[in-house]
Amino acid sequence: MKKAYNETWIENLHILNKAEHWAAKKLLTREQLDQAEKAFPQQFYRPGIFVKIGLFIFTLIACSFASGFISMFIIGDGGQENISVISLFCMAGFLFFLEFLIKKRGLYHSGTDNALLYAALGAAAIPILSLFQDLQVWQFCIIFFAITYAATLRYADLLTAAGSFLILILMLGDMMMKFPIGKAILPFGVMILSALVYLIVKKIKSSYYHDCRKLIEILALATFYLGGNYLVVREGNAMLNDLNLPFAPQIPFAQVFYFFTIGIPVAYIFFGLKKHDRVLLITGLLSLALSVYTYKHYFSPFTPAQELAIAGMAMIVLSAAVIKYLHTPKHGLSDEQEGKRKLANLEAILVAQHLGQTPGEDGNVEFGGGNFGGGGSGETY
Amino acid sequence: MNTQTILKAFVEKAVISEEQASIIADYEQKKAFSLHWELRSILYLGIVLFSSGIGVIIYENIDTIGHQVIIASIAAFTAWCFYYTYKHALPYSNEKVSNPKKLADYILLLGCTTFLVLEGYLQFQYNIFGTRYGLAIIIPTLIFFFCAYRFDHKGALSMAITGLASWLGLTVAPLAVLSQNDFTDNRLLATAVILGSILCAFGWASEKRNIKHHFAFTYIFLGGNLAVLAALTGIFSDRAEFIYMLVGLALSVFFIQRARLTQSLIFLLIGVVYGYIILTHFIFSNIVSEDASFVFGTFYFAFTSIGVVFFLLNFKKFLGIKK
Repeated sequence: MKKAYNETWIENLHILNKAEHWAAKKLLTREQLDQAEKAFPQQFYRPGIFVKIGLFIFTLIACSFASGFISMFIIGDGGQENISVISLFCMAGFLFFLEFLIKKRGLYHSGTDNALLYAALGAAAIPILSLFQDLQVWQFCIIFFAITYAATLRYADLLTAAGSFLILILMLGDMMMKFPIGKAILPFGVMILSALVYLIVKKIKSSYYHDCRKLIEILALATFYLGGNYLVVREGNAMLNDLNLPFAPQIPFAQVFYFFTIGIPVAYIFFGLKKHDRVLLITGLLSLALSVYTYKHYFSPFTPAQELAIAGMAMIVLSAAVIKYLHTPKHGLSDEQEGKRKLANLEAILVAQHLGQTPGEDGNVEFGGGNFGGGGSGETY
Repeated sequence: MNTQTILKAFVEKAVISEEQASIIADYEQKKAFSLHWELRSILYLGIVLFSSGIGVIIYENIDTIGHQVIIASIAAFTAWCFYYTYKHALPYSNEKVSNPKKLADYILLLGCTTFLVLEGYLQFQYNIFGTRYGLAIIIPTLIFFFCAYRFDHKGALSMAITGLASWLGLTVAPLAVLSQNDFTDNRLLATAVILGSILCAFGWASEKRNIKHHFAFTYIFLGGNLAVLAALTGIFSDRAEFIYMLVGLALSVFFIQRARLTQSLIFLLIGVVYGYIILTHFIFSNIVSEDASFVFGTFYFAFTSIGVVFFLLNFKKFLGIKK
């Protein structure tokens, strides 16, 4: 599949990112960085994240009203065929503008092009869903997988990449659910598929798909873990077999899943630290949190408040200890701040969202007691 | 594309010398893996969980002997947090002060949250403020404002602003402005607009006067968001619709102006989105016929949203931002 964006520019973008990192570490001088910018030019229009959000929202509004505008003329009797024709027509229009803006304005995942791509895909889905109503779920999955996969190859878009991976998992699930034996070994099926996908995308070296690769890695690691997580398997098993019991019953091979629940996060974190792989590390930390929750869900002797306090305390002590320990870098790990704090301002806003709301509830305490200090976090992790 | 090939390309294009390339290659190989953000995130999350949990624990144990022990230990802990911060604080300055002590910021934050827990408990159990709830709220607010300026802490500042707002019966937390404020009350609506505008002005002034100019963002973001959302609610419901509209538009322009001066694009987004909503509402509220507004609406949204996209694609040119 031919790529939509200028590949040389993307390579140069990566090179310049690297160069900026080196310049921040004083390995390159200011002049050398300027020189590099001249030697490796790129002319993408890449505004900050907030302008991208604005572009995305307003492009979506424009797309929906533009399609409404078009359908005013050719809606006819409003039959299925007419709607399908309109959708295809809109899709063609969106794709045209997408390609046009990429070529002429140098867009590169700038909000507008993302929105146009999704609008085109959405328009493409309407005729498929309305004309082939009798297909099975897995057959739809194949069609949509083909579309999102092709879109990912051409546009390297994150959402279509994630979509194609999730459609793949859904397809596997739907096929396996058709057989009793498949239902029983579904967790292993998901784990094997995730592992395969992970190993395959790990091999991609192209900068064009750099971000997509990272995202699929995260998703594959997550589904691999979820496939082996005791809580997910036990509750999922009860749900799939329509058992309406107050408690999901124990599952076969429980030992195996206990092992996965503990072992997978530990392995992720260990290899993440060892191979300096941030994706592995962060997925590992999140899955560890879910494992703790899993344990708590079945075995915890504490009340939710005590759990929160204990978990919070443990996290504070642990991270403070590690920060102290890594005061000077050890074992190839450091606590050095990398890059600028781009979102430092928003962190303070986060404090207002989470911690600041407490005083307002002083007044309520007299009457209701209850929800003290519940700012944002409440009972859940 | 890995480090090796980049370095090779750099040498080929004569950006760097061979020796420098080998120095960089060496650095890349020995480079330590930074856990900075992961650790900070865990620490922050820990503080949130801990303070939420401990707040509830006190109430759960309110009638047992244990609660006094809990109170005493929280009080001691809070005192320690403030003491630590005070001991390691750098002298005050109008400029930004970065404390080299890595944990100092977080310890102050922890101290502030446990202080709130403590105060809430004292009010609940011993009723020390009686029915003067205002006093109970303004005390931590003043303390937090003091901490924010003395120890240069944006987190304490946003807690202080939150406190100030709740003293007036408002919530400024960005995601709760609409859901938790009772904007059906006209007086509260006006208060919100006025407080928000004052906060914006304050942020603007602190930048102009160069007194902790990096606090400007927090003031303007929290205050502006509150004011403009309240104004928006006012436009939709209140009698003084026209005044709210002018205030809302003025705020939108102010936001876009901010984006131009400080290159903070979040303000550009806020200004454009709110400005668009206000203008759209104004135009449509003047069209009486439903059919006309439907047909006109299709045109209007299709073309104006393209216009906004065009503006955002060229905002640097329009706003005269150089870089």
